[in-house]
Amino acid sequence: MTRPRRARALLPALALAPLLAACSAPAEQPSAAKPAPGFPYTVDNCGVKSTYQAPPKRVVTMNQHVTEVMLALGLEKSLVGTAYLDDAVLPAYKKAYDTVPVLAKEYPSKEALLAANPDFVYGGYASAFDAKDGRGRDDLKRSGIGSRLNIEYCPSGSPTLDDLYREVREVGRTFDVPGRAEAWTREARATVTATEKRLKGTPPVSVFVYDSGDKTAFTAGGKGIGNELITRAGGRNVFADLDKSFGDATWEQVVDRRPDVIVIYDYGSTTVEQKKKRLLDDPVLKDVPAIKNRRFAVMPLSDVVLGVRVPAAVDKLAAQLHPAASRPAR
Amino acid sequence: MGKGAPSASAAGTSRYVLVVAGLVLALALAGLASLALGSVRIPPGQVLDALTGRAGPSPYRTIVLDVRLPRVLLGVVVGAGLAVVGAVLQALVNNRLADPFLLGISSGASAGAVLVLVLGVGGGVTTTIALPGGAFAGALLALVLVYGLARRGGTMTGPRLVLAGVAVSYILSALATLLLVVAGRPEQFQEALYWSLGGLGSARWDTLALPAAVLVLGVGALLALARPLDLLLVGEEGATVLGLDTARFRAAVFVLASLVTAVMVAASGAVGFIGLMAPHAARLAVGAPHRRLLPVAALGGALALVLADLGARTVAAPQDIPVGVLTALTGGPLFLWLMRRRPEGTPL
Repeated sequence: MTRPRRARALLPALALAPLLAACSAPAEQPSAAKPAPGFPYTVDNCGVKSTYQAPPKRVVTMNQHVTEVMLALGLEKSLVGTAYLDDAVLPAYKKAYDTVPVLAKEYPSKEALLAANPDFVYGGYASAFDAKDGRGRDDLKRSGIGSRLNIEYCPSGSPTLDDLYREVREVGRTFDVPGRAEAWTREARATVTATEKRLKGTPPVSVFVYDSGDKTAFTAGGKGIGNELITRAGGRNVFADLDKSFGDATWEQVVDRRPDVIVIYDYGSTTVEQKKKRLLDDPVLKDVPAIKNRRFAVMPLSDVVLGVRVPAAVDKLAAQLHPAASRPAR
Repeated sequence: MGKGAPSASAAGTSRYVLVVAGLVLALALAGLASLALGSVRIPPGQVLDALTGRAGPSPYRTIVLDVRLPRVLLGVVVGAGLAVVGAVLQALVNNRLADPFLLGISSGASAGAVLVLVLGVGGGVTTTIALPGGAFAGALLALVLVYGLARRGGTMTGPRLVLAGVAVSYILSALATLLLVVAGRPEQFQEALYWSLGGLGSARWDTLALPAAVLVLGVGALLALARPLDLLLVGEEGATVLGLDTARFRAAVFVLASLVTAVMVAASGAVGFIGLMAPHAARLAVGAPHRRLLPVAALGGALALVLADLGARTVAAPQDIPVGVLTALTGGPLFLWLMRRRPEGTPL
């Protein structure tokens, strides 16, 4: 029954509308201080233009995937607080993560956020900057706090791997660690290329993503990184024409589009087994190839958001979609 | 039907036959349209092939026979059931504003469904049993409360029933809201909305049998009670003079009507307005006597809900609009128009 994605998917347009006019520096440095090389740095993030005279030093991250971006760049020293895990941070970052105070289990209230005295807030979903909770980006700006929203939830949408690399590069620039961002991106590209090579000549399979839902199917549309991930893993999202990152499809559309494989997104209190059972028990779906052949793949939801897990996730999904082609070559 | 009736009503009888035939035809057409239209468009020829069994296994056949047909039939069953119950309750409390949900049934059902949602009974996405079960239990609870409150003092009058129903209704919907706000997650609001506004999206063959059986039995029983129901229309004293134990009769019919409503609500959520509208329209067409009123109301209610559901799943496809929104949006203005057409002074 849990569908946090639905709530989140509805939010971007609402939360961002008032922000488009905003455009100047969040934290003015005294002009006497000599800017570091690479600064002042101006960046346009989701229509909010910000100029940084120096890297922010007191950062709060909200949502797991942006926390992981910071940790992947070795920026835990800049973090004064973090909030809202979807499951658990990657084991590689666990030690660094444990040094950062957790402000709240989900989103912190505005007071809890301000109490950490941040100069920069980095949010993963548009709901992180929910204006009605007082965390709007322009509200924060008025308090002298800069902000960044993960590119996946910019109103323009349709993110690709290039947007992931851009996200990491821009964060690297903002925090004056462009070299680390470069190194991470090089490795990510290598991982993706290796998967691509392995899949060469393998025809794509059609994929239906089941996130949740009973009366209708909540699924991945064409405007999320999930769609890119499926494509790179040798799949074809049957709902790529759905003009959202997540959205509703009817069961009759699922029947009509005959997916070969069903990818179950795993999160929250409903287990993969419960979701599988719901799909297998539905008489309506009995002739869908994926159901007939019981072809399921499972991805944790934390793998299919725009963050540092994506390159490995492409490989992981490819191995499930094309088990024969994905025997490790090394 | 008109056997033994005075010759003056011969014209009434032919009018009745005409109305019934027209409604049956319209219902058949609406049903066919509902099978062909939706988020996947299916050519009419393929629909007919699937219906007549000429089509081999194909996605279209599955969509027509396993997705849309049970949904259309559930619309027929729930629409007919709510309309008949509405007509009967209007006579029972002698108030033309009565509908199946005036008496607390719908808020009871929503409260029950919300409780199941919040507690997470039945675990996860398979909700075919737990949620309707909760809705049914909630509706029964409302029934018992209203019945107990309305009957205190040994009699059960119409106004008392209405007052008890309205009070229980408010209390239970407040409880449902409280549960949602305190314990619910935001995504459960959507599910709760479905129960308070209704929708036919969960229709499957295996969830159709019970409401259908209850409809046939319940409407059969109410039709058999058509004469005493007519007596109620002449008022409390008149009915007693004519030999009807109004208190007992009212109690029995109330329980029967509530059980039918509870089953309908468990299958579809609380679809509003059908139970108010269809009886009024039917009364305009064939008059107040229940033997003719009930079948016409049933057909009208079925037609209205099938059409409303067709709108609900095509207007914003692939998203389902709660069908209760459409029945109220279209039914409300229609109701006002009917009201204005009546000459001043006639009771509603």
